[in-house]
Amino acid sequence: MSRIPDRETALVDLVDRLLGGGVVIAGDITLAVADVDLVYLSLRALVTSVATAEEKQLLPRMGSAL
Amino acid sequence: MKDKVLAAPSDLDPLASKGPRLEDALSRRINADPESVERGLVQLVLTIVELLRQLMERQALRRIDIGTLSEEQVERLGTTFMELDRRMQELRDEFGLDEEDLNLDLGPLGRLL
Amino acid sequence: MIQLVAITDDQSAPAPPLRAVACDGLTAICAPADESRPDADSLWRHEELVEALMETRDLLPVRYGTLLADDAAVAQAVGGRSGQLAGQLERVRGAVEIAVRVADRASSPLSGQSAASGTDYMRLQAERVRIARVIHDELSTVARDSTTRPGPELMRGAYLVERGSVDDFVARVRRLQDASPGLDLICTGPWPPYSFADGEGS
Repeated sequence: MSRIPDRETALVDLVDRLLGGGVVIAGDITLAVADVDLVYLSLRALVTSVATAEEKQLLPRMGSAL
Repeated sequence: MKDKVLAAPSDLDPLASKGPRLEDALSRRINADPESVERGLVQLVLTIVELLRQLMERQALRRIDIGTLSEEQVERLGTTFMELDRRMQELRDEFGLDEEDLNLDLGPLGRLL
Repeated sequence: MIQLVAITDDQSAPAPPLRAVACDGLTAICAPADESRPDADSLWRHEELVEALMETRDLLPVRYGTLLADDAAVAQAVGGRSGQLAGQLERVRGAVEIAVRVADRASSPLSGQSAASGTDYMRLQAERVRIARVIHDELSTVARDSTTRPGPELMRGAYLVERGSVDDFVARVRRLQDASPGLDLICTGPWPPYSFADGEGS
């Protein structure tokens, strides 16, 4: 029976905590700011891409079912 | 360092424990080079689509719970969500992303769930 | 650049290469910034540092990659929130964090693959949400505090457990695993209290 290395199993929880948890203090290299900028930029891209995807029938129309 | 696993099935399903592609998890935290920006954008867009999908599913479940949907509506919703789930899997496969890759920290957006 | 590693109110000096910076009643533990591209090994090394600190003190771990210009910047950033941070420290005093993830086994009847219709799918989803809630609530009763984190699993929980009660908690997880043949319960730790460190925006 093969055993997944425990380090690999725990890596999910490690990365989740180190990068997604802990005290958040804005530093000079403000990684958080870079992420937020990206989110604002891409929200517009998302709205456009979802509409296009629905038109091209790559995504089912989400509005009608609700 | 001590083993961090306290309890897990001895025949753990490898898919369940698959870690994030560290490269992806880190590339969004550190100044990304141009090549990984596009990949990062795809990752971000799909993460948001996945978030929306989960939000909608949860809202639908709440409405089913309080009984404000007809049987027909439930059936239609369920089929839509199944299709959406299937489609998300295809998109993930197409871009070589797994579920953990779409678990980006969206800050305030992420707390909608 | 300095990397901010952890915040504590313990006065004892950390072992080099770590340094202590005083911040209005609190101590910021810092390391020289490592600006090379991090990989799994460097993350684990960072974690080892924090856990070594935690063996002899209570602390709030700081998010990985937090870099500041110098000691003055550290003192200002941490000192400026000293009240709130002191409060958080009190909340985690004498406790560690344990992670529990609950995932469907592919063969489980609850996994989405087996839905025969839209209605069936919604019923399965509702059942999955219910089971996640039951497991989380059960484990929360033996933790000082608990929260869920977003993730692809059925449930991804973080539990603040008294240092001396870790074995009892793990025993509880094992019993839940025995009672849930269709699920994988993956429990790791003890971790520094990453999920309970920042009250702001939690």
